[in-house]
Amino acid sequence: MSKRHLVIAVSVVALLSACGVIRGDDEDQKAAVTTGVTNEPCPLAVDRNKGCIYLGTISDLTSGPFAALAVPITQAQKAFWNRVNKAGGIGGKYEVDVQAYVRDNKYNPETHNQVYQEIKNNVLGLAQTLGSPTTAAILADLKANNVVSAPASWTSAWEFEDVIVESGSNYCIESMNAVDYAMETYEPKTVMAVHYAGDYGADAAAGAKIAAEGNGLEFTAVETPAGATEQGRAITEITKNKPDLVILTTGPADAAAIIGQSAAAGFKGRFIGTGPTWNPALLQSPAAPAILALYEQSAPGKPWGADTPGHKAMREALGNVTPNDGYTSGWSWSYPLKAALDKMVAGGDVSRKGLLAAVKSLSTVDYEGMLPPEAGNYAGDPNTATFRQTLISKPDRAAPTGVTIVKDFYTGPTAQSYTMDGPCFDKL
Amino acid sequence: MKGVLESLIRGLGTGSVYALLALGFVIIYKATRVISFAQPALMIAGAVAVSYLVQVTGFYVAVLLSTLLIAGVALVVERVAIRPMVGRPVFVVAIITLGVDVVIRVVVNGFIGLDVRQVGDPWGLRLADIGGLAVQQRWIAMFLTTAVLVGLLFAFFRYTRYGLAMRAAAFDQETALAQGVSVGMVFALSWGLAGGLAAVAGTFVGTGQGVDQLTWIIALKALPAIIVGGLDSLGGAVIGGLVIGVVESLVQSYQGDLAPWLGQNFAVVTPYVVMLLVLLVRPYGLFGTPEVERV
Repeated sequence: MSKRHLVIAVSVVALLSACGVIRGDDEDQKAAVTTGVTNEPCPLAVDRNKGCIYLGTISDLTSGPFAALAVPITQAQKAFWNRVNKAGGIGGKYEVDVQAYVRDNKYNPETHNQVYQEIKNNVLGLAQTLGSPTTAAILADLKANNVVSAPASWTSAWEFEDVIVESGSNYCIESMNAVDYAMETYEPKTVMAVHYAGDYGADAAAGAKIAAEGNGLEFTAVETPAGATEQGRAITEITKNKPDLVILTTGPADAAAIIGQSAAAGFKGRFIGTGPTWNPALLQSPAAPAILALYEQSAPGKPWGADTPGHKAMREALGNVTPNDGYTSGWSWSYPLKAALDKMVAGGDVSRKGLLAAVKSLSTVDYEGMLPPEAGNYAGDPNTATFRQTLISKPDRAAPTGVTIVKDFYTGPTAQSYTMDGPCFDKL
Repeated sequence: MKGVLESLIRGLGTGSVYALLALGFVIIYKATRVISFAQPALMIAGAVAVSYLVQVTGFYVAVLLSTLLIAGVALVVERVAIRPMVGRPVFVVAIITLGVDVVIRVVVNGFIGLDVRQVGDPWGLRLADIGGLAVQQRWIAMFLTTAVLVGLLFAFFRYTRYGLAMRAAAFDQETALAQGVSVGMVFALSWGLAGGLAAVAGTFVGTGQGVDQLTWIIALKALPAIIVGGLDSLGGAVIGGLVIGVVESLVQSYQGDLAPWLGQNFAVVTPYVVMLLVLLVRPYGLFGTPEVERV
């Protein structure tokens, strides 16, 4: 074949496959019960007599800033649903597949929307939609089509969305509790929030601001870009203004740069980081001594090594992996979706609308001890349904994920009295 | 005043890294008239190679081996992807280097994995006391290493036969060819040198904070540095890199007090603001050669 013919042949094949004429992933729709649910068994079924509920996953799997968390989250959810299937599936009628529709969003909202459009007609809901700005890009579509989704992010905006089944306190509440904890423990006079832009960083900073004002503390917010080499300004602001308490809401590498270099320049105040700021690898970095001396970690849930039935089941299901609290988060986020699916199948209306109705009727969820049952309240209005308990941990080289709990689930006075009347990040 | 000096030294440290990267860009540009966008990938590859080698050989040997390794990788890239394109429009070759950058980074990302990798440098975040100034040791190391490398590089161009050949080829390729200079060898050598410099720069970027999959972005700051210094000036690349580093550091420290109306994080865009200002006054950069075109 001449070169020209080869080029033409390749182009034709590419064009046809782009138009959807040739598709390897042609779904078996003939036995469909509803969108994303079939009477046919799942591709990897445990029991081939059961139907299959397909859930999509959109995560930061390769090159985005949260890949170190996202990959374990996704793995844990695979293990979670595998355990559910082995234990008899959903209502004895269906198994759940979370592996057929896994897509990478590279933490880019456009990509997120693009891959969501690819899979949305094949799934009942989303087992995971990672990131706040990314999920915001598909939120209108999720709502229009009643696609119930478990988020992998804790922004306070989710309290106001019915289709989003969030677990654990949001960043805003988490920071309020962090400041209140510091009030009891360190009695700070000044608080600085060092944070990324957007509804991750700004949500936490807003919570810190609300708590600081409530406690009569002086508050400043320093927005910082991503990138360990870009933290010069944040470090200067910290060392120049010497706040007693810094609430950090960044990625792990940037947190290490900020804590390590501030401490090297003589800063002696305390740092409390929001959940995703932590990564156990930080204890291998040159900033480790500073982190051990000055840093604590707030978190919406207990770490990997905790002694609850849920944690135990997770550790058994995952087997011999390097402990990471991405696994813990991914696993615990899946309980509400399981509860809603159970309720939907029991109620008989197996459809997206049926699932959404089931979600709205949940006022507690059994997290097998990983979170208190009231963390899974989707029935009340946002203010009453918002879960307000978080924990504080400290770095500990001996712990599996580098942290041990110093204060168990608690609600500080600020979070207790706060009226959740809109996403916090609007109030910064 | 103490703060200004500390900020200045921090700027010279990071500026040294930009200078090393900028030198790589300029060396390749002078030899081939192509801006190689593969520098970020070579830089990060160098740092990652060190992070693995350091466990076996110790830091200094690891840096040396990594430099040689990345220079080798750059030679292979030049031979396989760039040499066949000799005589084609430079724009095409520049686009190929973009592709090379992506390919190398995908491979290197596999080696980085999901966590931050540490380069195991001896400085960490320790401070040195210089006349009452608290200065991070790694900044001093960056500056001194860059000074030594730049000195060696200039001596190489000035006093060796290969250096002379490279200068001749940069000046006029055809004439150099007619005089018996192997232009292919000059291309290869320029890529090798740029690769080695990028590896050293990458290692220094990783000191104190490690490298992850997003660290490569810092290499893009060498672009304003070479525009400021002049695309075809080695001295300009060094000065450009240092200027960018110092201005960025000073803006990080003082913009919040002196010009808060510019908003938070103005420092992020300062390299490009400096570049635009220089372009307005001297379109060929501070030390670049103005191009004369006869119509």
